[in-house]
Amino acid sequence: MLQLENLTASYGAAPVLQGVSLHVDEGETVALLGPNGAGKSTLLAALTGTIARRGGKILFENKNLAEMPSHEIVQHGVALVPEGRLVFAPFSVADNLRLGAVRLKGGARALRERYDHVFTLFPRLAERRAQAAGTLSGGEQQMLAIGRALMSAPRLLLLDEPFLGLAPLIVIEIRNSLRKLRAAGLSLLMVEQKLDIALDFAQRAYVLIKGRVVLADSTQNIARRADLSELYFALATSSPSAESTA
Amino acid sequence: MQDFLELAVGAAASGCVYGLLALAYLLMIRPTGIINFAVGEWAMVAAFGGFLLLSKLEWPYPLGMAAVLGFMLLVGWATERIAVRPLVARGAPLIAPILALLGMLVIFREIVSISFPPDPHPVPYAFGIGRLDFGLLGGSYQSFFIIGVTLLVFAATWLFFERTLAGRMFEAVALHRRAAALMGINLFRVTALSFAGGAGAAGLAGLLVSPNISAHYQMGVPLAIQGFTALVIGGVGRVEGALLGGLLLAFAEQLTVRYAPIPSGFAQGVPLLFLMVFLLVRPTGLLKARA
Repeated sequence: MLQLENLTASYGAAPVLQGVSLHVDEGETVALLGPNGAGKSTLLAALTGTIARRGGKILFENKNLAEMPSHEIVQHGVALVPEGRLVFAPFSVADNLRLGAVRLKGGARALRERYDHVFTLFPRLAERRAQAAGTLSGGEQQMLAIGRALMSAPRLLLLDEPFLGLAPLIVIEIRNSLRKLRAAGLSLLMVEQKLDIALDFAQRAYVLIKGRVVLADSTQNIARRADLSELYFALATSSPSAESTA
Repeated sequence: MQDFLELAVGAAASGCVYGLLALAYLLMIRPTGIINFAVGEWAMVAAFGGFLLLSKLEWPYPLGMAAVLGFMLLVGWATERIAVRPLVARGAPLIAPILALLGMLVIFREIVSISFPPDPHPVPYAFGIGRLDFGLLGGSYQSFFIIGVTLLVFAATWLFFERTLAGRMFEAVALHRRAAALMGINLFRVTALSFAGGAGAAGLAGLLVSPNISAHYQMGVPLAIQGFTALVIGGVGRVEGALLGGLLLAFAEQLTVRYAPIPSGFAQGVPLLFLMVFLLVRPTGLLKARA
């Protein structure tokens, strides 16, 4: 469904992604792991066109997203729940959701169907539909950010640290909602720092360090490696000569 | 008191012109963060458009006005394509388009100064010369016309931002550019439209004020300063702030000219004084954006 081939991207002059290749299959949940500054969020930004891509391909359902501006990428079925949620604080919950459907096709009927979908998944948002997004709790804002992304009827949902800073009960609630989405056939690619959550939730994972994929395996296999946190450390601090082959 | 009321309508009309100029700044600054000082030159270009169509060719006023405003929308759109988009698309810092627009300001002014003789060019009043009295309040036809048109424009702009999806999209871009892009909002289109709207508002201000001051190639800079001051007073957070700032500035100006014991030449410094005081004491303006 999604295939990255040798993707490179940079902020200004400093390259952040140095040729990343990975894939997500239909209906799959894939985790992106790695220490801070590894380029995980940059990868999602490059995927959605909010930073400049320098080279490589982003094939999604056989179309190359690498050439497209962000507003077209949404239309092709890829939506991102950004880190820090970025809800439109002064707007009501309903207005936030409406903005998520700017590129939705199918008129008023499709729109109502999307609202129903989101409100069924997160009944709390339905209760607070007229409330300003800025007055919601952190967990509710995360639900809104996910709901807003779902309004565009994506087939691949990208999540950037969706559980960051949330209370354990909310984490469980949101995780259950994501499970429902997954059961309904949605593919997920998520950045997650917490290994236990990621390994439990995803089927496969990529470990990203300094803008490269250094490990790709099923989460079951990765979970068996007791040395994973040491691996992070070792790879992140290994000598530059071993890494800068590009 | 009689004296003050006599002043009030004229001051309100000036305030409306400043408010429209402040609105022009605001329409562009909200979604893009770009301060475009060319609004004064846009007002000047529209004033010359009024001179050409209404004075020289003697078109009927509504037709001439519509043509000038249509032309200004195009000018704003083209300005964005030439001076803003190529820079933003290459990831230039915000200061780059601001400087490029200062360059455009000079280009606009010099085009007009080459094309027309340097003396003031008359632009007709919308309803001719005449005076309207409502009890104690009285003023020229043009003053009432300016106030009416401005209120309509502000009401329409307010409705656009508060009640339409397109307005919500503009605001979304103002709040979080990146999140707005992720929603599928085309940032380039929003920017182009905000410049078209800004040029429309500035052009309207120029056309409305030009019968009083005549079209002149140097009329832009004072208008740009007055509009910017009105914006700073009202705050960039809200549409109503632009009008409030414009009105406060105009009343302050007129009251100083009328009552303060200073030579009238010094009154031109009033907006600059206001600008400094507000930037020092209350840089966010009077009206806060909703958080």
